[in-house]
Amino acid sequence: MNAIFPVFTLLLCGMFTLAGCSRGTSAEPPTPGNASAVAGAAADTGGSRKGDFGPPQGEPIKAVLTSPPNVPPPTGRSAPAKVIVELEVIEKELPIAEGTTYTFWTFGGTVPGSFIRVRQGDTVEFHLNNHPDSKMPHNIDLHGVTGPGGGAASSFTAPGHSSQFTFKALNQGLFVYHCATAPVGMHVANGMYGLILVEPPQGLPPVDKEFYVMQGDFYTVGKFREKGFQAFDMQKAIDENATYVLFNGSETALTGDNALKASVGQNVRLYVGNGGPNLVSSFHVIGEIFDKVWYEGGTRYQENVQTTLVPAGGAIIADFHLEVPGSYVLVDHSIFRAFNKGALGILKIDGPENLSIYSGKEVDSVYLGDKAASLASVSTAATSNAAGTLSLEEQVAAGKSLYSGTCSVCHQDNGAGLPGVFPPLAKSDYLATQPKEQIVRVVLNGLSGAVKVNGQDYNSVMPPMSQLRDDEIANILSFVQTSWGNSGERVRKEDVTAVRAATPRAEGAAH
Amino acid sequence: MKRRTLFLIFVALACACTGTLTAADLRAIPGDSVYRFDATLSDQSGTEFHLGERRGRPLLVAMFYTSCRYVCPLIIDSVKGVEHALNETEPAHLRFLLISLDPARDDTAALKSVFDKRKLDAAHWTLARTSESNVRTLAALLGVRYRALADGEFNHTSALVLLDREGRRIASSEALGATPDPKFMAAVRNALEISTK
Amino acid sequence: MRLAALLMTVLLPSAAAGDFVRLPGQAAFTSILKYTDSDGKVPIAPFELMTTPVTNAQFLAFVVTHPEWRRGTAPSVFAEARYLSHWGGPLSLGAAAEAAQPVTHVSWFAARAYCEANNARLPTWSEWEYAAAADATRADARKDPAWRDRILGWYAKPANVPLARVGQGSPDLHGVHDLHGLVWEWVDDYAAMLVSADNRNQADPDVLTFCGAGALATDDRENYAVLMRIAMLSALEAHNTTGSLGFRCARGASGDVQ
Ligand code: HEC
Ligand SMILES: [Cu+2]
Repeated sequence: MNAIFPVFTLLLCGMFTLAGCSRGTSAEPPTPGNASAVAGAAADTGGSRKGDFGPPQGEPIKAVLTSPPNVPPPTGRSAPAKVIVELEVIEKELPIAEGTTYTFWTFGGTVPGSFIRVRQGDTVEFHLNNHPDSKMPHNIDLHGVTGPGGGAASSFTAPGHSSQFTFKALNQGLFVYHCATAPVGMHVANGMYGLILVEPPQGLPPVDKEFYVMQGDFYTVGKFREKGFQAFDMQKAIDENATYVLFNGSETALTGDNALKASVGQNVRLYVGNGGPNLVSSFHVIGEIFDKVWYEGGTRYQENVQTTLVPAGGAIIADFHLEVPGSYVLVDHSIFRAFNKGALGILKIDGPENLSIYSGKEVDSVYLGDKAASLASVSTAATSNAAGTLSLEEQVAAGKSLYSGTCSVCHQDNGAGLPGVFPPLAKSDYLATQPKEQIVRVVLNGLSGAVKVNGQDYNSVMPPMSQLRDDEIANILSFVQTSWGNSGERVRKEDVTAVRAATPRAEGAAH
Repeated sequence: MKRRTLFLIFVALACACTGTLTAADLRAIPGDSVYRFDATLSDQSGTEFHLGERRGRPLLVAMFYTSCRYVCPLIIDSVKGVEHALNETEPAHLRFLLISLDPARDDTAALKSVFDKRKLDAAHWTLARTSESNVRTLAALLGVRYRALADGEFNHTSALVLLDREGRRIASSEALGATPDPKFMAAVRNALEISTK
Repeated sequence: MRLAALLMTVLLPSAAAGDFVRLPGQAAFTSILKYTDSDGKVPIAPFELMTTPVTNAQFLAFVVTHPEWRRGTAPSVFAEARYLSHWGGPLSLGAAAEAAQPVTHVSWFAARAYCEANNARLPTWSEWEYAAAADATRADARKDPAWRDRILGWYAKPANVPLARVGQGSPDLHGVHDLHGLVWEWVDDYAAMLVSADNRNQADPDVLTFCGAGALATDDRENYAVLMRIAMLSALEAHNTTGSLGFRCARGASGDVQ
């Protein structure tokens, strides 16, 4: 940020060395050699040189902006227009995971920000309004803008103020926009990004359903899923050690009731962006193959793609046709991010089975569990716990639901484990012989190194589950100790609290 | 250092002094007018005047300092450019006020010397100085940003600001040079027509 | 009579003008603003600074005695429409503004007038930056990551929750509170900070060599937390107000304005 005020730049530069200071303003025409090399394979679009279709025609149009996962309708225009975009910056606390909140800085009140859709050649009059309640100044850099800073210098806006600038959308494509105010990484990490689609003049091929999905990485002081308000952790962001990797800014943005919905027989299009700030996405939909991917959000498409890269500050468009009903899982196929950091979304397809294509087994049960049932019993237990009337039955019911979302991935639904990999919890002699405190400790701190269960040796790692609340751990262990033929002791919340208090804070947790 | 921010109540009490605006005068000035700031300045011949006395005609204001070698001569050129772009009858209705950013060194003699060297017409032009505190307030009102450098020079933005007859900022131009920005000229002409009616 | 009663209630909670403490200053303070003309070193003469930002109650006392600075009376050229908009009325704080909270929604002109009326002035940026470099035990704690984290922690807090009262928590080495973590603060020379609005230009060597005669630069990238404050101030005009922007006054070490 140590350059000088732009006005001042002009002032001195105007006098001495205009050329030296106006880097990036003039679009250098490509050398003939370059142009023909590119044109070799297929006719090129001409890029920005052929993107100016003259002055805007007709009355100015107010752009339709949509919140994710919705996409505005196609512009349907055949001539350049003047399009007015009004985008408001709002800083607000929103859930980042169940029971966890975070202060997001947003374009339009959502993460990612509102989707903007214009046509190549349009003149866009951009109004950036920073809400009066904002604490920070903000600006916007649209990757679809030709000009220094992509609008950032013209849009620096104090709280309660508006700024305006105008640009012509010369290049077609799907572009990221983001805030570029210092510290830029922090503004981006707080959710200040979104997508602007510049349609080619002839529009994109029509489809039945369009969705807007954007990945981002988040850095919180508390651990993954640690409950309550979580603050931004600059050091983790610098270390690129993400606490969350999410689609549309929340672990639940695209799951449960919020799943994307479409039907067999439809053509679906995903506009997928990646805000970063740090991580590159290996975007994949489990159980689908993209028929077309406009890679890097550009003009050309690749066909029949399994996984496509979405760079930080980049985007792609993916089309596919739906044949088989069921739940399809959107993931970042850097797969720990999906299962341990939240990069999961569901596309729910309804319609008749097509057994000739797929035998019809659901794919989402493993990943999600029975959320609806779990919530009911879990909240009953929480209420009783607060009232001091918590019964063993309530604990076991809640523990069962929590177990299936948390432990069953490894120890299996029936507690049998996987021989040689995950030890059994059913009829486990470890559970029968170890003191209660030790068993609580296993869940809180994890377990690693050699351990013998029912005569078999295991030497592996169980991750700590300290993000669970004390009452949740008590419920799970009470369930485990009274199920599958186990006859262990009921575990109470106080037992867990005592062990947690006696445990030094796990390493890696920031203070 | 003496500060002269405007306080209606004090003005009302101290109103016996001539040349000062009365409280009633001030109230009649629109709230968004720069003339709400009742600064006392002195011109190139050392004569004191109140900023608000410029009310009644459009005014072109800029800030400069006389020892400035690069930009400030250009600022005078730019204002002259506006003057020349007007036809014979129009300039009579527009006035030019250049205020020094550097009251410590720009005394009356320094202002006078530049005034003569640049052959400015006293009927329309004023080069003025005022207290350091007033400079800061005026710069804030005009949207001029500046900073004194260690060697006595100043970094500053160099807007020409057009005030309407009531002292409201209606246009400004950062374009320096003898040929004024056409948009700004249009605003100037517009203001002159309104004020001559 | 009513005015007197009002004044009483206003003045009681805290001293009208605020408490000042003396800061020793420093012959060559390294500012985050690496102005090339001065090699980034600024002399800071001893001065006095208010221990807390000006509160709603203190500012109310000011507008009671200075009617021209009341909301609705102050001309818009000095204070935009949002000026003191969170107060219940021109002479009452109302439910949304507590007496001991820092006053916000004040323009630079208004902040300056307040300090003048109290025989003081706004601090310069260098003075403010120098004061804000301290922590509880050191005059310059800027190299300590904990110092930076405190600032970032504040950025991360949403602005829609009520502001804390001034002077909570422990003061710094000099006895000053709340330089970080509560509000942005006006400085007298806010308009002297000629900063690029697009902070990513920082690495552009051309700008610095061709245009940077007196431009500001920084080699302390770590210190973007402070740069943010500068960016904020540089985004404002003198009549602007925001809900997170307040001020405190300073004066010479002898107690007069200088
Ligand atoms: C990521 C896989 C994973 C998850 C999830 C997991 N565990 Fe484990 N668990 C293991 C592994 C591996 C071991 C053996 C560790 C070793 O070899 O030291 C283990 C050991 C145990 C043991 C001691 C050995 C035994 O079988 O009795 C208990 C008790 C236990 N886990 C309970 C739980 C509970 C309760 C949960 C849910 C809160 C859970 N685990 C979640 C992988 C997991
Ligand atoms: Cu931002």
